[in-house]
Amino acid sequence: MRKILLGTTAVVSAVVGAAVMAPQASAQEAPTVRIGGFFQALYGYTNQTGQQSIVSSGLPTGVGNSTTFIPAGATNIARSGKHDISSNAGIDVIVSGKLANGLTYGAQISINGNAVEGRQVVGSRSSGGKTLMQIDEMYAFIAHPRFGQVRMGDEDGVMGGLMNSGWVQGFGTGGVHGSWEAFVNRQGGGRTTTAPGGLGDSSKILYMSPQFAGFDFGASFAPNFNSGAATGCPNEAQSGFCDRAIAFSGARGVGVPAAGGDFAARRNEYQLAARWRGNVAGVGIAATVGHIGASAARDLTASGQQFRVFNDLNIWQAGVQASYAGFTLGANYSYGDYNFFWGNTLRGDRPAEQLVVGGQYVAGPITVGANFVTGLFEGGSRSNFAETGTTLTPFSARPGAINPVTGAVNGQANNSASMRRWGVGIGANYRLAPGMDLIAEYVHYSVREQGRDLDANRPGIQSRSFSNVFLTGVRLAF
Amino acid sequence: MTHMTRPILLLGLALPLLAACAGGRLVGNEEYGTDNRRELALRQTGAATNAGIVVFGVDRSRQAQEAAAGGGGMTVNAFLWRATLDTLSFMPLSSADPFGGVIITDWYSPPQAQGERFKATAYVIGRQLRSDGVRVQVFRQILRGNQWVDAPASTATNAEMEDRVLARARELRSQSAGR
Repeated sequence: MRKILLGTTAVVSAVVGAAVMAPQASAQEAPTVRIGGFFQALYGYTNQTGQQSIVSSGLPTGVGNSTTFIPAGATNIARSGKHDISSNAGIDVIVSGKLANGLTYGAQISINGNAVEGRQVVGSRSSGGKTLMQIDEMYAFIAHPRFGQVRMGDEDGVMGGLMNSGWVQGFGTGGVHGSWEAFVNRQGGGRTTTAPGGLGDSSKILYMSPQFAGFDFGASFAPNFNSGAATGCPNEAQSGFCDRAIAFSGARGVGVPAAGGDFAARRNEYQLAARWRGNVAGVGIAATVGHIGASAARDLTASGQQFRVFNDLNIWQAGVQASYAGFTLGANYSYGDYNFFWGNTLRGDRPAEQLVVGGQYVAGPITVGANFVTGLFEGGSRSNFAETGTTLTPFSARPGAINPVTGAVNGQANNSASMRRWGVGIGANYRLAPGMDLIAEYVHYSVREQGRDLDANRPGIQSRSFSNVFLTGVRLAF
Repeated sequence: MTHMTRPILLLGLALPLLAACAGGRLVGNEEYGTDNRRELALRQTGAATNAGIVVFGVDRSRQAQEAAAGGGGMTVNAFLWRATLDTLSFMPLSSADPFGGVIITDWYSPPQAQGERFKATAYVIGRQLRSDGVRVQVFRQILRGNQWVDAPASTATNAEMEDRVLARARELRSQSAGR
């Protein structure tokens, strides 16, 4: 947040409260349609674990039909280099208008590349590749000074990105929450999903209040997981891919969104936020507390019994940031039942906690900043489930535990423990022109889970994985 | 639903009612966080979030900006500039340079204090509407015999003038936002 006076106009509004309450008399504005967008091209130097496979991974699964170039039945290993260039772009269409009674309205449609993981699954709801343009956020809004704003559509919720405080990401490409993830191989889960924007844009309805005495409040609700028109079922079969499915076979496998982000067990997601902004002795302060909750679809056995396998999503978050003379410092803490994808944890899993701190400084055209994230999450789950057709029996995920149905014994690599994830990013921008930045950034990210194999394609158990990415390039928003 | 979440949901339902009862200020879309990469980049680089091409309708925001900036050649924040002029208008103006952002008043003797006179110099700094975007320096002289001699003006006076300018700038800003 910049030290801009907008935040304190509430004080003025409080003084002239009567005027605000009076019927608005303002000039009606015909709607305008605006087109803008962004482009970025980044060179990345990546040094990470998991850059070479030694043990054959076999045929990759879930990659569609094009496995022609994978040697069938042969050893399938690879080595990765360190250099790459990644480019990405997006187009936004923004509609806005105003009625004579002060009501403003509009819509925003964002069409972006790199919106999904790009995994393609045969015979189910397939996702496009990472280079296809996809709808990211799209919503319509109606706002009035007296009643606040209602948004409906695909949008991050009030705590999923709209009203959070304490995330300092306005430098580089966002530091530890920035574009470095585009360069790393996915072994070991080198990513920072538990950040604003990471919860996903499940189609929802949002309400955000006007600001009074510095406070504003928000609430949002998404009945099901999918976004856009991915409602109903992808074909005539009732399955977990149906957006309204409240219980389905194999639900236990999709606490983390699968199938390119369009398939997860999360249901009835609600978010509540309270935010205060103002000036204290010339220092701009913003603080937010909020909660994200959700239930989850139940698992269904072959004979139709429903089993509750997930904890409800239950995230409490508090954040604060302060700005003064170009400096911004912020910290955010979240605690509760969630995994490192902001998904539902299996019953018996530990709660997660995460701390983010960051700072940045803006001096004319130059911005420098750093941010740091550390979190403790459930790693490999503590629970497995054995299905007999009529019942679902949980059993331990620990090594040596016996599957009560198959009799299989968990191997050493199944060991599960708390997963410690931490990362640090430092970055700088030079503003070449309004909207155009030259960027340099370095990120280190580490995942550690004692005893669990985070790189299955190498012999032995690698219980640590890390990524180092240096990136530099150009970004233009217009 | 757990016993804890029910009161939270009730609170959520009560919020719109609360908002409807109390006098509030509409929170602009630019005051919410966003996951939109265009918007993030525009905010980060300080570019106007109304960048882009208007393909349908009239670009009123740009019209308003240019009008407020006195034709687009202005290098200082238009709201702060106008607010400074408004605030100092009770004194005779000696010079006003909208490009350098400097306003200098002539000596002014308040009717209730004929034995002293004031002169003010105001500097409007930068294009952003920030609380440190204006500096006011008030000079004071008192009549001793037939001679005006320099006397210190309290530093609180400068801060108070700046606060008035900022308050006026806020007013102008919210009036403009309501258009």
